[in-house]
Amino acid sequence: MAELKLIGFLCNWCSYAGADMAGTARLKQPGELRIIRMPCTGRVDPLLVLKAFQEGADGVLVSGCHPGDCHYNEGNYYARRRLELLARMLPAFGIEPERFEYTWVSASEGARWAQVVDDFTTRIRMLGIGDEPTVAKQPDDQRTGEERAVNE
Amino acid sequence: MISELAKSELSMSDLAAKISEALAGADLVLGWTASGPGGVAAPARFYEQAEAQQAVFDSTCVHNLAVHLPRLKERRVGIVAKPCDARAVNQLIAEREIDPGRVSVIGVECPSMVDVKTIWRRFGYGARIEDDGERLLVNGAEVERGKYTPAKCADCADRVHPAGEQSAAVADVTDETAADERQLRERFNAMSPAERREFWREQYSRCIRCYACREACPMCYCRDVCIMQSDESRWTGGGVNAGDAEMMQLIRVNHLAGRCTGCGECERACPAGIPLMLLMEEQNRVVEELFGHRAGVDPDARPPLLSFNANNDGWRKA
Repeated sequence: MAELKLIGFLCNWCSYAGADMAGTARLKQPGELRIIRMPCTGRVDPLLVLKAFQEGADGVLVSGCHPGDCHYNEGNYYARRRLELLARMLPAFGIEPERFEYTWVSASEGARWAQVVDDFTTRIRMLGIGDEPTVAKQPDDQRTGEERAVNE
Repeated sequence: MISELAKSELSMSDLAAKISEALAGADLVLGWTASGPGGVAAPARFYEQAEAQQAVFDSTCVHNLAVHLPRLKERRVGIVAKPCDARAVNQLIAEREIDPGRVSVIGVECPSMVDVKTIWRRFGYGARIEDDGERLLVNGAEVERGKYTPAKCADCADRVHPAGEQSAAVADVTDETAADERQLRERFNAMSPAERREFWREQYSRCIRCYACREACPMCYCRDVCIMQSDESRWTGGGVNAGDAEMMQLIRVNHLAGRCTGCGECERACPAGIPLMLLMEEQNRVVEELFGHRAGVDPDARPPLLSFNANNDGWRKA
């Protein structure tokens, strides 16, 4: 069976550290989630989530600081509005809404992180492999900055 | 200024007078003349008071002329606007994209537009469409107006002009065009996410990547820095295929969140007939549900995604 691909966009200041803590505490977690470290959930453009789905992700998880605890004071409040809107738009785009989740995990909540990953991974395992990617993964841009400037 | 909208039903001479009047304080006025194919209205710019006599307003004035305002920022501009167009003007003011002091709106009551594309599909491109205010004539023969009313007009919630005047009720809507569109919406609403993915894939496979949806949209004013076209950001590949077309529309939907005034120009402009408003309408509905916001109704409203309410945003609180 092909392996599931789950993508996690994690805030550097809380959830990423929380995931680190879960690791150093040697808490057991499923291994399908691939973590991308972000400066803040406020930086998580909803399009990043949609792009991940388009390129073949079977599930996408966004996790940041609890409301009120943002390292930048308010980044996660903006994120909450965007992500909630995104979550409700997914069915119209043709993506099962259960494949997306956003949540809050602080730097001290290693055990909670392990639980979040376990719950999310179990949920996606039940749903199985998602739709075929609509686009092939794009090759890395090999051009130098100068070549790029000429083309653009 | 929006608050000083002209409201009365305009006869053509009134319209000419309003345009002349506006030209006293403006460099140009955006309106329509009857010079399009088949005599349908074509967007026009009036610079001289003498030209104002050529202005028309009827049910073929389908375009949303607010799309030109961001490109005319340095000028003082008058604009003939239907209620839905006026919402776009409001939204541009709310986003500080245009200076309300330089724009004067000549509000016109909307008789409800006709679907020119459908008429031409049925009678041939360029078939002569005339509207004498009561009857709709195609190639000189009367047709039932209701048959060619688009759903966006049949179901219009903005019949009341932002200036407060109620437009005349649309003739009985027995219409086939709106019925077709409503049927598509019902079909779409009944689909599962997987069926919708298949549906969009089929729709997007017709996209020729002409960017007409973006060019017709009054809110798509990033122009040269649009990420749909940038090969640097690589959100989309350079190709003409369903995957890139899908990402283009996802970008458009996301970037118009809380900003789309629902004028339907993207869908009307699409030469491939992709029902883009399915996504926009759904998003407008969700935005209203979540944030109680309708774009372009209040030029002073804060954009819902550029603000937040720490305590009252009622989802995922902890």
